[in-house]
Amino acid sequence: MDLNELLKQNRGRRSLLQALGVAAVGISFGGLAACSKSEGKKLANGEEAKLNFYNWDTYIGETTLDDFKKSTGVEVTMDLFDSNDTLFAKFKAGNPGYDVIVPSNDFVERMIRADMLEPLDHAQIPNLKNVDPAFINVDYDPGRKFSMPYTWLVLGIGYRKSKVKAKPDSWKVLFDSPEYAGRIAWLSEAGDMFRLYGKYLGKSVNSLTPAEIETISAMMIKQKPNVKKFHEDDGQDLLLKGDCDVVLEYNGDIAQAMVEDDDLDFIVPKEGSQLNSDTLCIPKGAPHPKNAHAFINYMLDGEVGKKIAETILFPTPNLAAKALMPDSYKNNQVIFPPADVLAKCEYAKFNEKLQPLYEEAFTKVRAS
Amino acid sequence: MAEQDWKTNKRVFAAVSLPTLLWTLLFFVIPMAIVWFYSFGENKGLTEIEFSGTLENYKRATEFLYLGIFGKSFAVAALVTLICLIIGFPVAMAITFASEKWRPWLLLGIMLPFWTNLLIRTYALMILLGSQGFANKGLEALWSSASWLKTLVGMQPLPTWEPVQLLFNNFAVVFGLVYVHLPFMVLPLYAALDRLDRSLIEASLDLGAGHFRTIMRIVVPLAAPGIVAGVMITLIPALGAYLTPDLMGGTDSQMIANVIERQFKKANDWPFGAALSFILIYAMFILIALQSMRRKVPEAR
Amino acid sequence: MAIFSRTPRAPLEYSRTLWMRLWVGAVMVFLYAPLVVLMIFSFNDSKRNVVWRGFTFKYYDKALGNDVLVEALVNSLTIAALATLISLILGAVAAVMLWRFRFPLKGAVDGTISLPIIVPEICMGVAFLIFFAKWLEWPTDLIWPFNLGAIIIAHITFCFPFVTMVVRSRLATFNREQEEAAKDLGAGEWAVFRDVLIPHMRPALIAGALLSFTLSLDDFVIASFAGGPDTITFPVKVYSMVRFSVTPEVNAASTLLILLTILLTAVALKLQGVKAIAETH
Repeated sequence: MDLNELLKQNRGRRSLLQALGVAAVGISFGGLAACSKSEGKKLANGEEAKLNFYNWDTYIGETTLDDFKKSTGVEVTMDLFDSNDTLFAKFKAGNPGYDVIVPSNDFVERMIRADMLEPLDHAQIPNLKNVDPAFINVDYDPGRKFSMPYTWLVLGIGYRKSKVKAKPDSWKVLFDSPEYAGRIAWLSEAGDMFRLYGKYLGKSVNSLTPAEIETISAMMIKQKPNVKKFHEDDGQDLLLKGDCDVVLEYNGDIAQAMVEDDDLDFIVPKEGSQLNSDTLCIPKGAPHPKNAHAFINYMLDGEVGKKIAETILFPTPNLAAKALMPDSYKNNQVIFPPADVLAKCEYAKFNEKLQPLYEEAFTKVRAS
Repeated sequence: MAEQDWKTNKRVFAAVSLPTLLWTLLFFVIPMAIVWFYSFGENKGLTEIEFSGTLENYKRATEFLYLGIFGKSFAVAALVTLICLIIGFPVAMAITFASEKWRPWLLLGIMLPFWTNLLIRTYALMILLGSQGFANKGLEALWSSASWLKTLVGMQPLPTWEPVQLLFNNFAVVFGLVYVHLPFMVLPLYAALDRLDRSLIEASLDLGAGHFRTIMRIVVPLAAPGIVAGVMITLIPALGAYLTPDLMGGTDSQMIANVIERQFKKANDWPFGAALSFILIYAMFILIALQSMRRKVPEAR
Repeated sequence: MAIFSRTPRAPLEYSRTLWMRLWVGAVMVFLYAPLVVLMIFSFNDSKRNVVWRGFTFKYYDKALGNDVLVEALVNSLTIAALATLISLILGAVAAVMLWRFRFPLKGAVDGTISLPIIVPEICMGVAFLIFFAKWLEWPTDLIWPFNLGAIIIAHITFCFPFVTMVVRSRLATFNREQEEAAKDLGAGEWAVFRDVLIPHMRPALIAGALLSFTLSLDDFVIASFAGGPDTITFPVKVYSMVRFSVTPEVNAASTLLILLTILLTAVALKLQGVKAIAETH
């Protein structure tokens, strides 16, 4: 059988197909409309007491959603995504009904440009006052028109203290040296990898040229035999299980793992690194925008933020929450690396031109 | 088999054909046709895809880089199929010639893991194969007892044990794929062996051929249709494997399904992902066509 | 066949030879060891699947107390049950069509029906995403279980071809004279289908049901694309748990699912007997 032929025949019948489709849809909608959610009890703001939250797994306090229900009566349904790419791919065909989503900074930029985000009404988010002023005028969303900072994170090297000779304070250990051959794990995210190599070579994460991507690919291919795994943000697991000893990871992930295993540590290399920030946004077409604002405001509350930070151990941009945290969190050099180190770190900008180049180059690196 | 012409009984034909045909048309052909059209389109901005009739995506998909990945995926799938065949054939033989009482239970034993969630099975295998996993622990115990034995007879002990890398490499991918696909191979093999005329085997043995020779000369040729069916039914899913290389693979273990997945997600290049998908589908078609050309295989049960 | 397996002659009883037994034993260990280890470690009082630290039920408590996980499991079982039911009907009917009739374009129809078996999951996931969200503008705010509709439809599409495959090969062993005889005795088409064909297809239908149920429970790519905001499924949840290392809870949840599989198999055995189930695949 030949698929081409088959499809050609179908194309010939396209108008018929569409008529059929429309008919079927008409019938099913007639039926489906009857099953639409009955209007539940309304809140004072005129919306039903529901909210659809699309979040990362293990990225919220254990009782946050229940507490929110107790204080407002709104029932939160949480669905999980495993990467920004899944989030974006899903929204490409339209918002399937989410009210609050948690994209990272570069995807905030991307989604703003794709017109996927609803502008926030700051009047409904008084807890904005709790946010560290340093997080208000950010490049990816000046003035916080579309996103509220939820956490921030920095990439660095997580390592097992007993298995390294010296503090791995340079990207060289991961990127350009056979010293820990077979015990290294990189991130599988092409853009992050190229940008960090750029950092290692003394460049800004946002100024790479195609020629430099070429050079970096060659360096990666040279280093690849020493690398054991390109992990999907589960580097802390590789450390804990003893599969790898030096991994590229986010500080919060390693901080979580350090609670279980005190032989682990984390360092931001001296060349500087890349910052990320996960944010709370309301996508266009959200069915409950007022509840969404109330929820975002709730998440930025000091007490609530504290409970979240206690569970997820990521750095919080919420000063009120940070103030309530114990010293073991506030003074933790893994969660809050020293200011002089952070000064050398940058946020990655979304770059429509470079992203496909990164992807193809990384596919090439994997294939070689 | 006497098939009825559809015109002789239009009412019954309509009753049995309309539900499936409509369903397939509406919920399979149309969605897939959209993707097929995408493969001739290009990205316009971040979210729009324009159907421009370009062949650029196919041109890119047949570049050396991607052909190489196709080639590698095929090689891995073929190796997995071969190993499954080698492991599975004796098992199928044993089941075929087992006693009436045991046979169904053995079959069930092969099928039960297949009914268990794929993600769970892969995850279970990862626990076993990690650097600190049981496979390594077992080898370490063997190693140290060997070392101890050596010191017992007054020789130098063996050097300290270094864990073997069982996970995150191509070995792990092949191992994981064999683990997942073995039932696919055993069942059609058993179906074919079960239909074998046993008197032929007996005759061969009576005439003085050894067991091995009988198997190679009599059993294998007679079971060929089942072997082909088993090979196909293992090879095709192995070729499209996504989860196993993703979770168990190392730095060079990507297979074509992983590359396709990245086009749809990370690279945000749906037209190219669609083109790669359809090339994979065409490749599978060619395999199936080759098989049906080779021999009209009796349907695997 | 029965005569042969009872013959006292040793040569054909390959399963009695030692090396055959060892081989089969080794394969069974290979198939089951990982699952057994996973299940044992669900009772381990440590966050890592490495060393045994003592017996505990706490991860079952945690897994069952995890609302999202339980919701995901309920959703998945509902989807699998409904998808299996409709797949059985569609699959059986399609098998009868392909087995009984000769019609124009039969090869193309046959090919198209089995096509979902070979299409890469991600490709189908995207196809359904575009189809439901852009083409149909399928509503995503329906009440349970109608909110699962899109996923169920998607699952039926890739499950029923497997049912067709299994049922069709079972039909190949059908003796058409039975049908003729029934018709001679005055039975109508429907009566023949109900009283003659369905009983003959029964083992294949049960095997097909198990297969559909498994495939539906396995899928996470398509479900994560075709789903809406309140349709999280078990594999989607487990996948992100594996990703974000909530390990012992994954073990506990997996063990529960394995037990469910065994239970379903036992029910199928009860319905049909071990022989009939095992002989259709």
